[in-house]
Amino acid sequence: MNHLNEEQLVLYHYGEAQDRAGVAEHIQSCDSCRANYQALQRVLSAVDAMPVPERTENYGPEVWRQLRSQLIRAPMPRRREFGELFRWPRWAWAGAFALLVAGAFLAGRFWPQPPAEAAFVAARPARPLSESARERVRLMEIGDHLERSQLALLELINSRTNGAVDISVEQVLARELVAINHLFRRAATDAGEPGMASVLEELELVLVEVANGPAKLTSEDFAALRQRIDTDGLLFKVKVVSAQVRAKEQDAARELAAKRS
Amino acid sequence: MMEDSDAALVTRARAGDQDAFRVLVERHSVKLFQLAYRMTGNEQDTEDIVQETFLRAHKQLNRFESRAGFGTWLHRIAANCSLDLLRQRQRRRGQDGAAEVESTEAIPLIPSPAPAPDQAVYHAELRQKVESAMEELTPMERTAFVLRHFEGRSIDEIGGVLGVGPSATKQSVFRAVQKMRRALEPVLNPAP
Repeated sequence: MNHLNEEQLVLYHYGEAQDRAGVAEHIQSCDSCRANYQALQRVLSAVDAMPVPERTENYGPEVWRQLRSQLIRAPMPRRREFGELFRWPRWAWAGAFALLVAGAFLAGRFWPQPPAEAAFVAARPARPLSESARERVRLMEIGDHLERSQLALLELINSRTNGAVDISVEQVLARELVAINHLFRRAATDAGEPGMASVLEELELVLVEVANGPAKLTSEDFAALRQRIDTDGLLFKVKVVSAQVRAKEQDAARELAAKRS
Repeated sequence: MMEDSDAALVTRARAGDQDAFRVLVERHSVKLFQLAYRMTGNEQDTEDIVQETFLRAHKQLNRFESRAGFGTWLHRIAANCSLDLLRQRQRRRGQDGAAEVESTEAIPLIPSPAPAPDQAVYHAELRQKVESAMEELTPMERTAFVLRHFEGRSIDEIGGVLGVGPSATKQSVFRAVQKMRRALEPVLNPAP
């Protein structure tokens, strides 16, 4: 096993590592990783020392005392009883029933009937990884990538500026994202998805700029980078494409479930 | 006498029993205070968030699904309120960068671990350093870190609060720890 990176150690510490037993074994046997893990534990123990002001047992009643007057001004919305939902006037019931009958008739008349062959295909057991399953996996991966990129951009533009801005942490992430982004962009171009390819291309340019630029930016350089992300609406575009991909993925999941059932 | 469960109190509160809601407020206030304080680091903001959380909870009580656990639901509301506040605070900071530089520069650097008589001073300074490192986290990082480190919430739960998926949530936790480490390691493990 290779040395564990910082991310693996953090995930292991919080019980989120994928191969927990393997990581534990490696920490036991590798002096360097054990020392690294112990240093991480020391930092996190120091964080536990962060004080929280004491609150006595009277705190709850005090909160209630302040809250009470506000609750009187804004009473809780009353819950509708189950029976109330059915208290329609008679004419509404009659209308609803007529609509239901008409709808059922029209649905039977015009609903497309599946051809016999399609019904046969649907009845066969699913293959290990069908075209639609592969498509769903692809969409999930792109969705994850876009979400991570969106987060990276958000974190970047929200970085604190104290004269100079240290973006070394963002750079590490940007380097990872560039490589993945490149693959997805090419795949989108090959698959004839110009909208997606275009957004991925814009994203890649910014990621490359962050990844290859200096780790410490002057406040002017940082403002220019932030403005570029804002002006081009890149964050918004990534958000929109990400939402579209998630929606497609859900459609694909529903389609798969329907096929299986 | 046996205490009423949260679920029983919620049922009564939904039926309009204000005393049941009072018991819930009194039972959960301290824990909510601790969560909100760790997220905001400011006592007055924390008090506001505790109030806001209960007001929102009262308003949305009919939407609460009992399988989630009332405490968990409240903590989620409090985390959302805190996240909103952190974002507002950040926007204000962005508009007033100069004041921020002053306040950050005022934080003293901590010397290396001191001998026994100075331990109290060292710990006080360490706490201050932890607080300033927490201040350096972005709202998402701080939320993810507090919910994972102090509250022990699952990645899915944290993702629900942040509105992102598991991969982005893990990334936020990781980046928060990475930043804390960079800020605190020189103090805790000084170079020989």
